Amino acid sequence: MMLSDTYTIFWREMKRYRKSRSGVLIRLIQPAIWIIVIGNTFASTRPLIQSVGFNGSYIEFMAPGVIMLTAIFTSIFGGVNTLWDRRYGFMNKALTSPISRSSIALGKMLAISLISALQSSLILGIAIALGVSITNLLMVIPIMLIVIAFSLGFSGISVIVAATSKSQETFWGVINFLGMPLFMLSPALFPLELLPNWLAFVAKLNPVTYSVLLIRQIMTGTIQIFSVAFDIAVICGFVVAMVALASYVFTREVNKPF
Amino acid sequence: MVAIYNPEITCSLLHAVETQSLSKIYSNGLKAVDEISIKIEHGEIFGFLGPNGAGKSTTIMILTTLLKPTSGKAYVAGFDVVTQAKNVRQNIGYVQQDSTVDEYLTGRENLELQAKLNHIPRDTMEKRINDILEVVELADRQRESVVTYSGGMRKRLDIAGGLLHRPKVLFLDEPTLGLDIQTRYKIWDYIKKIHNEFSISIFLTTHYMEEADKLCDNISIIDHGKIKVTGSPKNLKSSLGNEVIIFEMDSEVKSENLIFEMRKIPTVKDISADGLEVTVFTTSGDQLIPQIFQRASDLGIKIESISLTKPTLDDVFLSYTGRELREDNGKYDRKKERERIRKIRA
Repeated sequence: MMLSDTYTIFWREMKRYRKSRSGVLIRLIQPAIWIIVIGNTFASTRPLIQSVGFNGSYIEFMAPGVIMLTAIFTSIFGGVNTLWDRRYGFMNKALTSPISRSSIALGKMLAISLISALQSSLILGIAIALGVSITNLLMVIPIMLIVIAFSLGFSGISVIVAATSKSQETFWGVINFLGMPLFMLSPALFPLELLPNWLAFVAKLNPVTYSVLLIRQIMTGTIQIFSVAFDIAVICGFVVAMVALASYVFTREVNKPF
Repeated sequence: MVAIYNPEITCSLLHAVETQSLSKIYSNGLKAVDEISIKIEHGEIFGFLGPNGAGKSTTIMILTTLLKPTSGKAYVAGFDVVTQAKNVRQNIGYVQQDSTVDEYLTGRENLELQAKLNHIPRDTMEKRINDILEVVELADRQRESVVTYSGGMRKRLDIAGGLLHRPKVLFLDEPTLGLDIQTRYKIWDYIKKIHNEFSISIFLTTHYMEEADKLCDNISIIDHGKIKVTGSPKNLKSSLGNEVIIFEMDSEVKSENLIFEMRKIPTVKDISADGLEVTVFTTSGDQLIPQIFQRASDLGIKIESISLTKPTLDDVFLSYTGRELREDNGKYDRKKERERIRKIRA
């Protein structure tokens, strides 16, 4: 029952996404600008990047970062419809039906992470079109799996913030406060090795770091088994913790008057 | 069901909805619902009336398991709303005040979603949806996005969604709020139709006394969290006297004598004079009118005009809740907020 209930909510969210086609392209504009503008602005940092063992161009270095940028923002914004649903009564409709509270949260999160992966795959396509090389096109599959898993964790953050916020203003305030630092404090744009020690330390506490490193290894084909295993373990731990916390917080919050 | 073995619950199975000293105190100290005890028979349409902020919404939220009561008990379809919330949810339909259909989905998709939320098996789902679309007369528009629907059509779709899983108790929160008069009459017809067709109990809240009068077997008037009165609309109205006569005299001379004389008539329940105008609450107006003329001419008073009306539920409502204006207790702000969001979204 839990599974089919989760699927019901997932189905509804995906239907809504499919009907809002204009949003798909609008949300691609920003990451596309990042890849084109920042990718070319910092093109001359190539020697620096090569000094820490990366052989490609700067755009190739930062492409995984922009894929993660898309994933971070698509998933962290995704929970906002929890607030709409509470305002417009869909939430009450779901809460007075026999489905469980946590399946509502899970269905939303799964839909957000799939949407996030769809958006990121478009950015990956743009990157490839701009000349970013990928060792093997089949590698798109593991990359997308990583994006889905990572986005599931981040959608958890979004759902937690949305469930505890009483207003749109609070939600956007908290989300903007979280989103940018999480992106900046990672090796998305610049190698960890070249950061000051304290910044590198903070970046290592950030789950974004491990996703970026993992995707970068896959794209360049420089896979080291130990580091891949470690990155995957960190991401999985993060996802499990977030999914559990999000269903707990969501279930607790929706039982309070809105 | 297992519940039958609990004597306390067996009691409440006799009623579609039963509350015992139900109270809700919010964390800010507001006592929204104060010791409410109501009983709704199976198959009854029950009207829950009250001014804004009287506690209607809080009560409905408790009965639909959205809020936990502070104290007291509530049973819906025989199940305790706190300890057997899931059973309650399986047996209720809830049509909220604001439309809750997904605008970007088609009418049919909205009903499919509702069917899935309520665990209607896949093999019966199609038929149920087709049937209910016929009842609310939306079959021809089912493949269109709800964005293209009018307010009345959305409401019908909402009601259809609430009925899809054949609930034992249907909660209708202000079903005709903000609809034009033609649509309102149509919605009333639908409510009567579904009530006959599915023989369900309906718990209805409304601001419109006419609506309660037309639809409800029984009503309760709630104010400041307390039930003021319960009864059938007919009985409540006749408690004020079945009819009202208002007449105008040509002079105030001897008018006191006339009123004194009229008080002696057994069918006169109450009489009051305001200048030349006299209002009489009575149980049989058509027989009283000739008597008024008789006694007036005996005293040499000329009657300038006379009219006979029935007391409305409005009179009942006002006599129990008073005539002073209400502060809208935060409700106004919420509406404004919604409007604002709608604009941002558009």
